[in-house]
Amino acid sequence: MRGRRAAIGVRLILIVAGLGVAAFLYAFPLYWLIATSLKSKAELYQSITLFPRHPTLEPYFSVLVDRGFWVLLKNSVIVCAATVLVTLAVGLVITYPITRLSVPPRLRVGVLNWALSLRFLPPVAVVVPYFAIVRTLQIYNQPIALIGIYSLFNLPFAIWMLKGFLAEIPLELEEAALVDGANRWTSFRRVLLPLAAPGLMAAATIVFTFAWSEFLFALILTATPASQTFPVGVQGLVTQFEIIWNDMAASGVIAMSVPLVLMVVARKYLVAGLTFGVIREK
Amino acid sequence: MSRLVAELPAPTGTKPAGTGRRRRSRQERLAYTILLPALGTVFVIVTIPFVLAIWQSITADDGTLVGFRNYTRALSNPLFYDALRATGLYALIVLPTEILLGLGFALLVHRAVKRAGLRATLYVLAVLPLVVPPVAVGVVARLIYAPGYGVLNYVLQSVGITHSEIQWLSDPLLAMGSVASVDIWQWTPFVYLVLFAGLQTVPKESVEAAQVDGATWWTQFRYIELYYLRPLFLLILFFRMADVLRVFDHVFILTGGGPGTATQLLSLYIYRIEFRFFDGGQAAALAVLVLVAISILYSLVTRALPLERA
Repeated sequence: MRGRRAAIGVRLILIVAGLGVAAFLYAFPLYWLIATSLKSKAELYQSITLFPRHPTLEPYFSVLVDRGFWVLLKNSVIVCAATVLVTLAVGLVITYPITRLSVPPRLRVGVLNWALSLRFLPPVAVVVPYFAIVRTLQIYNQPIALIGIYSLFNLPFAIWMLKGFLAEIPLELEEAALVDGANRWTSFRRVLLPLAAPGLMAAATIVFTFAWSEFLFALILTATPASQTFPVGVQGLVTQFEIIWNDMAASGVIAMSVPLVLMVVARKYLVAGLTFGVIREK
Repeated sequence: MSRLVAELPAPTGTKPAGTGRRRRSRQERLAYTILLPALGTVFVIVTIPFVLAIWQSITADDGTLVGFRNYTRALSNPLFYDALRATGLYALIVLPTEILLGLGFALLVHRAVKRAGLRATLYVLAVLPLVVPPVAVGVVARLIYAPGYGVLNYVLQSVGITHSEIQWLSDPLLAMGSVASVDIWQWTPFVYLVLFAGLQTVPKESVEAAQVDGATWWTQFRYIELYYLRPLFLLILFFRMADVLRVFDHVFILTGGGPGTATQLLSLYIYRIEFRFFDGGQAAALAVLVLVAISILYSLVTRALPLERA
């Protein structure tokens, strides 16, 4: 009896230790980022302190106003919002027929598989031709170039998520509307869209966060603050010869706060999206 | 209480009930009218870059055909093999670590944490690292590993583990470890979430029966749970392998591929050939090679993935 209790005690200690170490490894880096972002410039030149001595919001002011990063923030929001609109519109046009209308199963599977294969396309492999295309179309250094590419790269996620949401809405609801004399468009707009709204919001949030994080294309296809997105600005602070640590940390906090806040809303669907529906929340 | 489960598709798909032949053909026509223009446009937009990449890879800047010269140059560049080696090493560090840690954590929570509230909290917390922009994670890593201001050296020195500065980012092996640690930090929660969801699909009866028969936690895992997790391991492995080829942001921020070429992964290498050496032909040849490789890998693995097909 005593041996068993001891074994349970050891197990409990192991469990608590495991959770504790993990919590520390995740919490400390984030704490350190925020702590650094609250330090004044004077404090940077003293020895390292684990807590900011005189917490100040001065670095945030310096990043957003003095360095003019609020423009990049605005660009990011515009690019991401436009990406969400384009991706969801195209995604609906593609998923509506394959989920709501009777089509040969081979077509459904073909479309879905093709979308899935796009997910595995390494961006860096198409960077070279896209750069040439964007140059030719003379949309280099314009948000529209990013919107187009982000929409394309997020389309696979959108198709698979929307397919999941649309397939869950009973066909009968739309058919009832059709019997009552509504045409397809009305029944789509009045019956299906309201029912699919939560799913659409989730997909929108996830596409927004993915577009928000994108860095490679933004780095390559933009050149001036007029069209750069926020991650490019963050990168600019990092690779200078003399790094202003508190400004860099503040820009990092701003960059991650937007998706973190959005994810509290859409967390239920993120894992389903990332695994193309294999993992679902019940 | 919501819970996360793995939904593996049934081997045979069920057909939606048809509603008469005439009705179906009219619906089908409508479906094609909506689908074809959209799919056609997207298909063309997606395909143009591939064709263009192939074209760029067999021509010089002025448009004259050069045959396979760009490919021979790409393949004879020793830096290419450095990049392959770095990418391989990165994958070898990152994939097993993430899978083992994620599995361990999923088993730990599955077996030991029974309170639904705590499980839900862990779920939310595990989702969060997945959406932090890699650029921001790179910034955090920089604050931790950087020479001079890095907090890791400060902590190690004040605890007394080391007295000299450890060069996390300028020693080739340590730099690779630092870069890999960022990936592990960000993506272990993904493995955890997938495997934890998979563990929820294991039938309670078979576990209880095994426990009655005196199964230890290891035999229970080895002979029951592992069976249900197997397709998910494949999914994780394939998704994460494809992701290793995409890794760019945090490495770019943290080491820029250095010291030397120690952390210059394939993606950074292609970027460098195109935008630092301005060698479009060679970069296009590399891009085509990567596309061919990923297509082969994809066609080999995709059939085995536990994805819903109908």
